[in-house]
Amino acid sequence: MIAKWVKMLLLYVRFMKANLIALLEYRLDMMIMIFSSALIHLLGLVFLWVIYQRVPDINGWGLWEVLVVYAMVYVTEGISSFLFEGSWMMNTLVNKGLLDNFLIRPVSPILQILSSRIGVNGIGNILIGTAILIQAVSHISMHWTIPKIIMAVVLLVSAIIIRSSIKLASNSSVFWTQNPGSSFPFMIHSIGEFAKYPVSIYNTVIQGIVTVVVPFAFVSFYPAAYLFDKEVFRYWGLLTPVVAIYCAIGAVTIFNYGLKRYESAGN
Amino acid sequence: MTPLIIVDDLTKEFLHAVKKPGLTGSVRHLLRPEYEKKTAVDRISFSIDPGESVAYVGPNGAGKSTTIKMLTGILVPTGGKILVNGVIPYKQRIENAKNIGAVFGQRTQLWWDLPVRESLSLLKAIYEIPEREYKRNLELFTDILNLGEFLHLPARKISLGQRMRADLAASLLHNPKVLYLDEPTIGLDVSVKARIRQFIKQVNQESGTTILLTTHDMEDIEDICKRLLIIDQGRVIFDGELQAVKDAFAQERTIHFEVRAPLHLAEDALHNQFPGAALHIQNEGSHCSIQFNRFHLAAGEIIEFMMKRSDVVDIHIDEPSIELVIRQIYESNLNNQRIIV
Repeated sequence: MIAKWVKMLLLYVRFMKANLIALLEYRLDMMIMIFSSALIHLLGLVFLWVIYQRVPDINGWGLWEVLVVYAMVYVTEGISSFLFEGSWMMNTLVNKGLLDNFLIRPVSPILQILSSRIGVNGIGNILIGTAILIQAVSHISMHWTIPKIIMAVVLLVSAIIIRSSIKLASNSSVFWTQNPGSSFPFMIHSIGEFAKYPVSIYNTVIQGIVTVVVPFAFVSFYPAAYLFDKEVFRYWGLLTPVVAIYCAIGAVTIFNYGLKRYESAGN
Repeated sequence: MTPLIIVDDLTKEFLHAVKKPGLTGSVRHLLRPEYEKKTAVDRISFSIDPGESVAYVGPNGAGKSTTIKMLTGILVPTGGKILVNGVIPYKQRIENAKNIGAVFGQRTQLWWDLPVRESLSLLKAIYEIPEREYKRNLELFTDILNLGEFLHLPARKISLGQRMRADLAASLLHNPKVLYLDEPTIGLDVSVKARIRQFIKQVNQESGTTILLTTHDMEDIEDICKRLLIIDQGRVIFDGELQAVKDAFAQERTIHFEVRAPLHLAEDALHNQFPGAALHIQNEGSHCSIQFNRFHLAAGEIIEFMMKRSDVVDIHIDEPSIELVIRQIYESNLNNQRIIV
């Protein structure tokens, strides 16, 4: 069992290395991608800064605390897209019948899909996100204990799993829609924008959506609420690892269910 | 011998969206989608023993690729059974993948941007091929398929013929029990075709790899396969030895003679001795050909007859091409019933 997972991990690394080699063939393209994604986030930061020039806090969240939430979105999105960008290839793979190649190899198709692309634009997100995170945390007076640090890591990993699972599940919709574009997964992805700010500022419907339907709030807001001991939300934060497991199982189930409908493509 | 591949009552239906033309049609489809059922493979059954080489032919859209995709585990059948080496492909996909190799002529399984050598080495990791076996196979394939000249180039930079050779090597690195070939020679030049056929034949004969080949190239069939499976409109209409088909549908033989002095031979003289034979004289008598049924007349007698009457310079015998034979089978398949030879 362990040997199987180690083999999968090693294969994953090899596939990603292959992607990187391929990518280096188009070096300029890569630099532009990293730079442009970083630029977008800088604009978002300016927007937050302008708001906080007018108000001291939003629903009890100060600027630096919101920045932690904000940075969590970017760091998790960055890592998730760097490692699992392949989900976004599903529409192409399914519509052009390229998934055939993955299905005739003795390796999980999910592993092959996730590693079919490397998201270099994620590097920009990771760098900027981490910089903001470090800055923000250093401005918040917090008592860091070992358990809290461990919990912070667990929350971060869970957040990445949640995000990546949502991406895989939403992109699996292509098995049903056979849509050559990715409008549906992109719509789901956009819901993640809500998670950049404390969800307590939204009405119940939106809170419900980002907590239950597409649990993006567990990527940033609930973990941050737990770390900062924010009212009732901090208990929700403890649920994050459970939600991560639930999302991962859900995504794999949806994928496998959809795969049965795969029709390949005629020659 | 237990068969390696068992296909029983296999059926695959596809749902196709029915859209009326134009924007209104598309909008209407969005609101109330309509589908029609199309049966691509219709209750087919056959079995293949280990080591066989089978040609799977049929007109375009007959269901050949769909069958192969079900055998490889890519598609889930609508009904019926498949068993490949004791494994149900669409259920135990990974188990099945270890036993099979597949080449799809229209598509490569190599990594587009990676040097071919890198792609092969990735496959080594995927199939967990032991170092020694990998080295031996790679050397052998490089030698026979002449891969050396392009192993260092990425797949997107090599020609179609090179790509096909690399794909063949890629599909056989792990010594699969079955090799599925879906139009492996499509679009290739004569010399590459010949080399690929030679290689496939060798793999079949020396390693005992079972071959299932779909193709529209009749020479592929004749060169590589001993057995012929013909399907049309999703049903098997013929299943038997290639030789048996030829005996049934290709009884005609034509012997061509080139003679030194112009030939003066009356058709009556020929008919008296060989009823049913037809004579054609061309080029003012310097060439002639005699057409006959090989089950009624013997080629030797006809040649002897000609040798007595003229100074024969050259002889060759023609048989109908397998293409003609298969066309006859397609055309005689009016009620979509199995043809028995």
